[in-house]
Amino acid sequence: MESSNPTPAPAPHRELSRLAALLRYEILDTPDEAAFDDIAHLAAHICQTPSALISLVDDHRQWFKSRVGLDVSETARGVSFCTHTIEGQDVFEVRDARLDQRFSDNPLVTGEPHIRFYAGAPLTSPDGFNLGTVCVIDAKPRSLSEEQRTALARLSRQVMRLFEERLHAHRYAEQAAMQQALLNSAASAMLVTNADGYITGVNPTAERLFGYSEQLLIGQPLTQTLFPIDALVRRASILSDERGETVEPGFAVLTAPLAEGQREMREWRLLHRNGSTVPVLLNVSAIHDEHEVLRGYIVSAYDLAHQEHLQLRLQQIAAQVPGLLFQFCWRPDGNSSFPYLSEGLEDVYGLSAAEMAPSIAPIYSRVHPEDREHVLASIRHAASTLTPWQFEHRIDHPRKGVIWVEARATPMRQPDGSVLWHGLVTDVTERKAEQLELDKQQEMNRRLLEALSEAVVACDAEGNLTLFNNTARIWHNLDVHDVGPEHWAEYYRLFHADGETPLSMDEVPLMRALRGERIRNQEMTIVVNGTVRHVLANADPMFASNGQQSGAVVVLHDITERKQIEIMQRDFVSTVSHELRTPLTSITASLGLICGRVMGEVPEYLRELLEIAHQNSKRLSALIDDLLDIDKLYAGKMRFDMQAHPLQPLLEDALRNNQGYADSYSVSIEMDQCPAVAVHVDAMRLEQVLSNLLSNAAKYSPAGETVALSARLVEPQRVRVSVSDKGPGIADAFRERIFGKFAQADSSDTRQQGGTGLGLAISKQLMEHMDGEIGFDSTPGAGACFWFELPCHALGEAAT
Amino acid sequence: MTELKRILHVEDDPSIQAVVKVALEAIGGYQVLSCSSGQQALDEVQAFDPQFILLDVMMPGMGGPETLTRLAERVDLSQVPVAFMTAKVQPGEVEHLRGLGARDVIVKPFDPMRLAGQIQAIWSAGGV
Repeated sequence: MESSNPTPAPAPHRELSRLAALLRYEILDTPDEAAFDDIAHLAAHICQTPSALISLVDDHRQWFKSRVGLDVSETARGVSFCTHTIEGQDVFEVRDARLDQRFSDNPLVTGEPHIRFYAGAPLTSPDGFNLGTVCVIDAKPRSLSEEQRTALARLSRQVMRLFEERLHAHRYAEQAAMQQALLNSAASAMLVTNADGYITGVNPTAERLFGYSEQLLIGQPLTQTLFPIDALVRRASILSDERGETVEPGFAVLTAPLAEGQREMREWRLLHRNGSTVPVLLNVSAIHDEHEVLRGYIVSAYDLAHQEHLQLRLQQIAAQVPGLLFQFCWRPDGNSSFPYLSEGLEDVYGLSAAEMAPSIAPIYSRVHPEDREHVLASIRHAASTLTPWQFEHRIDHPRKGVIWVEARATPMRQPDGSVLWHGLVTDVTERKAEQLELDKQQEMNRRLLEALSEAVVACDAEGNLTLFNNTARIWHNLDVHDVGPEHWAEYYRLFHADGETPLSMDEVPLMRALRGERIRNQEMTIVVNGTVRHVLANADPMFASNGQQSGAVVVLHDITERKQIEIMQRDFVSTVSHELRTPLTSITASLGLICGRVMGEVPEYLRELLEIAHQNSKRLSALIDDLLDIDKLYAGKMRFDMQAHPLQPLLEDALRNNQGYADSYSVSIEMDQCPAVAVHVDAMRLEQVLSNLLSNAAKYSPAGETVALSARLVEPQRVRVSVSDKGPGIADAFRERIFGKFAQADSSDTRQQGGTGLGLAISKQLMEHMDGEIGFDSTPGAGACFWFELPCHALGEAAT
Repeated sequence: MTELKRILHVEDDPSIQAVVKVALEAIGGYQVLSCSSGQQALDEVQAFDPQFILLDVMMPGMGGPETLTRLAERVDLSQVPVAFMTAKVQPGEVEHLRGLGARDVIVKPFDPMRLAGQIQAIWSAGGV
């Protein structure tokens, strides 16, 4: 609201400072207070007016801390009379507002409360700001006497003093609260006493530490309550001696040192309410007021029980550690000390705690003279690089003689430039001895490996080659190289037994062993500079003591010579067989013609002998055929004409071809069932297997019995063909070698039963070459069932 | 169909030569000329004018297959079937020998009682 006579605008920065001064008193919008109301009443009374106000002017209003004869608590600053008052230093008086141009149209004049008379004295702060007024108002024109004006000004100064007091009271309460909070939150027990040593305040830590509530402690003499008398007496006696005057064994024990300006900080064992003692670090400070008058003492007690507990725990832990635990401090000036040494000191260095000086010298003197330089150098190096220190060295132990210790420590640079080490020294004499023994053994092993005629190669768990013995180096003409497993075969020239096909990574024995396999007698070749070396590989995974695989090792045995002899033998068998066959063919054929009566009738007395000669010449031919087959099979030279054939016709053909032979033993062959499947085989070779099984079955069957030929699916895509007889079965002793070369039930059997003893060996080889499997089930005395299994597919379907 | 009469047999082993001759002549009633080498066969083939030639595969000097190739220069093999005699053969070998122009392969050791029948069967199947 505008007045018709605008008031001069105050300088803006001055007004801001005035507002800041006003706010500092924190009085705006506070509740009524009697002290201020008394002054307002006094003002109204002195000035004989119906209304009096204590008014404070902020940026947009005047607010009344106290008001007499007026209802409103504030009015807008624009219509305020007080705004004029605070612009001057003296009492501002308007005798009749209606006659005053500045106020004649003021709504407070023209309307409620119809002000005619106004007189106000400014409230001036000590720093010179007018914050408001003490003013009186009347609805009638009037004027103040000089006494009244002076009284109004005095009242305004009185109000200002109240403001100041109020402000100080606030500040004091805040500080007190803060001090209390500090006391309460202190980790130490705090006890405040008066100058005579009677407790006037305690914090909660003190209550907890000593077991008393605040009420029980307040007013009690501190030393009599919490200090053991004998400790006080002891301390008093010491102090008395020091000072040359008597110190009473009471509170003076704590305060006497303070008189000399010393700080009294000392460990005490104080009394807990329950009778136990509490270890504390006690600190006593005197409290003086602003006039240097002694008001009392603050006694703080830091609980050492926790620290004692930690110390004990460290001691217990250190006792469990074999060796010496230490903390070592090396200062820039070259001095050193051991802030901590565990009880292992005697064990490792043969030093008692009493023998320990604050320096490293006693320990250093125990180091074996030959090792001293190295030890020092290694410590210096670790200190300068701040890297962990680890060093094995010898100690001249007074009791144990020369022992080996391992020292390890971690250096840490301290803010003052010193280096602090935390470390451990352990007696490793035993381990050292074991190590030396182990070294010896390893040397022995190494020599043994080098002397072996077998090649030995090893690798670690990551497949890095770690060992080639002498023989391995010679055979490969190479040493251990950084070659990954995927390149071993290529780099070290590893091939299959044929000497031509390179081994794939998965076939290299060492690689297989590295994957956990145990390899026994894997035949392979090493081909270096055109020389083929045949070897048998035996490989095993190696395991560490924790059970984890640590690598693999392979031992290679040279069988080149044996292979050459084998090849010679085979060539010999092959050559001889071929050479035998031609004359035998003519003998057999001639006997065939004679026995076939082509050359005319044979006299009766010759016929039987000629038949015997004919039969045996045929048997000899069969033996030679078998030998040649075996030879081809083992040499890998037999070729197979693999085709898909329906199974049933193959079985029927075999039955037909062998029925004649079975007839000669008065045995019949019957075919049971056969699923409609096809097998992928060389038909001629399958017929050979079937003939072998059927003729064996017929041969061993009692006369008049039947041999059963059948086939059934054992899996959707696998057929089993069985030949069962009712013969004597397979003796247990014979089971193991029945599929071996020249196997027959017993040696006399060959003659009795005929046959070469190669049939089953050939059959097994043939079946394996056709992806089949051969086997038998038999109970001695209850017949035998020989079977083979082959992959198959339903007729009409393509093989998968 | 012409009746098979004259068979030329080439075989270096005299024993087998003799046995085959007996078997074919006595059982089959054929007329057999036995030659001990490929060269002898080449020399005598035109004079003998065989209707069927039985050739051993393995012979010293000129082997069976070479003999066959050279015989083809002198005889019209479309009119004169040739069969090889050989020890047990590997798969593929029979195909190889057929590829050289042979009609069939008779496997040693042969059955002398059946030999004439086998040759007659080849002769008849040949449709000559």
